[in-house]
Amino acid sequence: MRLATFSGLLVLGLASTQSVNAASIYAGQAKAAAVCSQCHGIRTPSADAPFPPLAGRDAEYLKTALKQYRDKTRKSDLMNAIAGSLSDDDINNVATYYAKLKP
Amino acid sequence: MNTTKKRLSKSVIIGLAAIILPFGAQATSDTPKDMHQLYEDNCASCHGSDHGGYLAPALNSDKLKGRSPTSLRSLIMTGSFDTLMPPFYGRLSDDEIRGLVKHLQSTPKQANPAWTIDDIKASIKVYVKDESTLPAKPTYQINSMDDVIGVAARGKYGRGSGSKAVFINSATHKQIGEVPTGTAAHIIDYNPANPRWAYVKTDTAEIFKIDLYSMQAVRSVKTGYNGPGMGVSRDGKYIMAGSFVPHNAVILDADTLEPLKTFELEGIDPDGKMVSSDSGMILGTPFDDIFAIALENAGQVWVVDLKEGFPVTKIEKVGRHLHDAFLTHGGRKLMIAAYDDNIVAAIDLKDRKIIKKLDAGCVPHVGGGAAVEVDGRTLGFGTNFGDCEKTVVSVWDLDKMEVVKQVPVAGGTESPAAHANAPYVAVDIISKDRRARTIQLIDKKTLEVVKTLDVGGHAYFPEYSADGKFLYVSAGYSGDEVVVYDSTSLEKVASVSMESPAGIFSHGRVRYMTRGLSPDEASAPANAPRLPPVGEMKGAK
Repeated sequence: MRLATFSGLLVLGLASTQSVNAASIYAGQAKAAAVCSQCHGIRTPSADAPFPPLAGRDAEYLKTALKQYRDKTRKSDLMNAIAGSLSDDDINNVATYYAKLKP
Repeated sequence: MNTTKKRLSKSVIIGLAAIILPFGAQATSDTPKDMHQLYEDNCASCHGSDHGGYLAPALNSDKLKGRSPTSLRSLIMTGSFDTLMPPFYGRLSDDEIRGLVKHLQSTPKQANPAWTIDDIKASIKVYVKDESTLPAKPTYQINSMDDVIGVAARGKYGRGSGSKAVFINSATHKQIGEVPTGTAAHIIDYNPANPRWAYVKTDTAEIFKIDLYSMQAVRSVKTGYNGPGMGVSRDGKYIMAGSFVPHNAVILDADTLEPLKTFELEGIDPDGKMVSSDSGMILGTPFDDIFAIALENAGQVWVVDLKEGFPVTKIEKVGRHLHDAFLTHGGRKLMIAAYDDNIVAAIDLKDRKIIKKLDAGCVPHVGGGAAVEVDGRTLGFGTNFGDCEKTVVSVWDLDKMEVVKQVPVAGGTESPAAHANAPYVAVDIISKDRRARTIQLIDKKTLEVVKTLDVGGHAYFPEYSADGKFLYVSAGYSGDEVVVYDSTSLEKVASVSMESPAGIFSHGRVRYMTRGLSPDEASAPANAPRLPPVGEMKGAK
């Protein structure tokens, strides 16, 4: 019952998802809620926050950026540490999730 | 592709700004005075101006002894997941964060700072000088002012542009106005005698008098440093406000916000010790021209008569660590929760004494409370903060004053919502894991959980619209929206975006006194439009 409500919300909340595996969005949503949204928000970060919004951004860009943060070719104390905790799957999932969200 | 490119470059700019600005903008020295100001400007609204804790833990040399400065620094940078603690990375420079950690680890809890009646008087700000220039009726389409729902939006940082009181028309679920409050809005009360006035109290103890017809603040006053306690008298003429810091309370003229009398909150606690005390709940009641105020640490309830000199009757030994309460029986009886005794004490406000103490689960936090009439009985519902082995919502028979049932729920709970016309009592699960996303619904008749809603974020503070048709829930911290459900089908019908929404307050509360009771329970002012009658009423008055 809870799962049904939950996936119902997902379908409502997301644009249509032809080729994308629904499970990865589900996992991406959980990861985004637990990790990314603390600073970046779900749809938008705080008006007073210095963090960029992620919703609706290009998935490939998000993946590349996260991988660069993870291997420290792109430097940021905070993002190097956070991306360092993400697996390849996590990165694919959160990037897909945020890319599909309407800002 | 083009849009992607634009977005990319925008992100680079924002990203750069995030990294460069705070460090470029720093012009700090780390003298204790500057660090104290930094603490006041960023931390004190939640952690307490006296470093003694408020919504959030105490931050002082004793409390932080032995903590690694590095871990404290990274906690401030990233914030704390699953709590209200936001990430200060980019808002404070690294030097400022390091300076703050040093300051906090070397500063003891401060003595009760003074905030006198003169300070209160001097803090009054007037935004609309001549109130006769205000519109005579709402400047927006609304059928009844009872349809107004106010949401205390905290803002991610507990201050700044996201901190405001947001007002929604609960018939259309559209925002009808918002009033910036500077720091996190915490409590919204409505004037029982005149539907145009609302009062919003912030975590830094300012009270804004708001004109709901034109959706603007007309005056404000700072009643202390921290503390949510606020009540409005039944005639709409007085406001009483109480603080955690300092330990005092004040009665204000509800019209001008001028302070009329202050009260030092101190007394002998249930263990026989003289203590200075935080202010807990403050309630006006339709039953009489009085305020009731809880002295949290002194375990006393004071009844203040609204007459010459504002005399006080003290009810002692009510319970250890009192906090919030709700009214029943036409406002004659007060049900008040005691965290440390795990009881709710029933107090008769006419006789001004304790009627009975009832079991209330684990660390009872009744929020605004709820009471419903079912099969000839008046049942009260009490939520529990505590995450004990057995988490329950307590149900009491408010006529017989006895426990009817302890309903098992999924976790700790903070606030119950009920409405005479809605089939379920909603409670918010606040346990710090995935359960925090959910609201559970208890069937009024069977007293069992029949449904769990996955709202998202840290879902809390459910509230029904005045007609009972819709259930509003704050998706809290990272959810950044208020979600609206049909109260019978429980289908999601709308969402209203805002930053870190918390408490939700229906204007209907002034009519049904305690959520769940018939709208005729509180004697409504004669000029207010009446809601249609809702079923059988008990002779509770």
